[in-house]
Amino acid sequence: MTKIKKLLPLFIMAIIATACQKAPDMEQLSTDLMVYTHYDNQCDFSQYKTFYIPDSLLKIDTRYTEPQYYSTSDPRARQIVEAVVSEMSAKGYRQVADRKQADLGIILTYIKNTHEYVGYVYPYWWDYYYWPMDYWDPFYIDWYPYYPYSVGYSYTVGSLVTEMIALKEADKETKQLPFVWTSVLAGIETSNQINIANAVAGIYQAFEQSPYINSNAQ
Amino acid sequence: MKKITKIVGVILLFAAITSPSIAQAQLLKGGYFNVDWQFNIPIGNDYANRGSGWGMNFEGGYYIIPQMSLGLYVSYHTNNKYIGEQVLHLSSTESLYADQQHSIYQVPFGMAARWRFIEYGMFEPYIAVKLGAMYARMESETQVYTYYDKSWGFNVQPELGMTFYPMPSKRIGMHLAIYYNYSTNKSKVLTYNIDGYNNIGFHLGLSF
Repeated sequence: MTKIKKLLPLFIMAIIATACQKAPDMEQLSTDLMVYTHYDNQCDFSQYKTFYIPDSLLKIDTRYTEPQYYSTSDPRARQIVEAVVSEMSAKGYRQVADRKQADLGIILTYIKNTHEYVGYVYPYWWDYYYWPMDYWDPFYIDWYPYYPYSVGYSYTVGSLVTEMIALKEADKETKQLPFVWTSVLAGIETSNQINIANAVAGIYQAFEQSPYINSNAQ
Repeated sequence: MKKITKIVGVILLFAAITSPSIAQAQLLKGGYFNVDWQFNIPIGNDYANRGSGWGMNFEGGYYIIPQMSLGLYVSYHTNNKYIGEQVLHLSSTESLYADQQHSIYQVPFGMAARWRFIEYGMFEPYIAVKLGAMYARMESETQVYTYYDKSWGFNVQPELGMTFYPMPSKRIGMHLAIYYNYSTNKSKVLTYNIDGYNNIGFHLGLSF
């Protein structure tokens, strides 16, 4: 019994210490964001020449029952939209004011406040609800988005999602609007606000790691 | 270096606290118990191959014959490595840009067999072989997400060491050993794969 008493502090220390994993130094990680991109490899992006982008940024915020938007009168939305337009222009696409004339449509969504979605999900729930497909054309009433790929990512608070729709490929029979590119920028919220510098840098990075988006490609 | 000094300090403090109760004799007559700080370097992969002192080793045994003991061991260790910003191609159509903190956490445990060359001397050199299992957690931390994979495998660890007893009759000594550690665990995180964990390192601690 005496021996057991002597051993007890050693075993207690062993158990406590064994439970410890040394966490890495998270402060060493840069403040840069994470950028995830996924595309439809059946899509030939070089066949498209024009694009349309709305003048507002959808805000997913579950505190509200109605969709919320940042319009381009808000400098935050304006800088983000301008960054996307700048990148698309640099890739050889021409912005058009009439969405009916566009080959590609671009949707920007900022996840302000929602639950985390883990795993492979089809994020049509917000496109369908918040970005009604008839936004693109009255003809598209009752149409729905079609993702030829699953988005292997979870969306968290403070994410900016950019999606590209091949409007030119809208299928009248199935009433499907094919989404051909998704970009998720995670970690762009600082002090409960969009970090514009990170968001813009993330948009540039998303296009840089997506060289297939190029109207001039042979 | 500061962290290593801190760890050694903790070991010595613990020894000072517990030694009054165990200084009269060894904990188990004919046996031993080691409490070690360890320094470990993963080899054979570049996932988190930076050496670190974030680990401990605990081992106890009983001499079934004067030269040979059988016992149990458990140790744990963490190795971390910072990876700068880069684009990972998760699949043919998916890419991820991020900087990461890679981490490997290993907990081998099992049975230990030791052969000592000198009995009850001031210096007791020995060789040992440890056999058992290992739990490993391979992890990649980013600003937003943690990706990880847990695995189990068989573990084998040859070891060469020595215990120094300033007063052989008291059987409280300093312990130093070098080891090689191999486990069959297989892990995959993002685009990184580890097929078998290899480590080298040393233990430094107290023997009772």
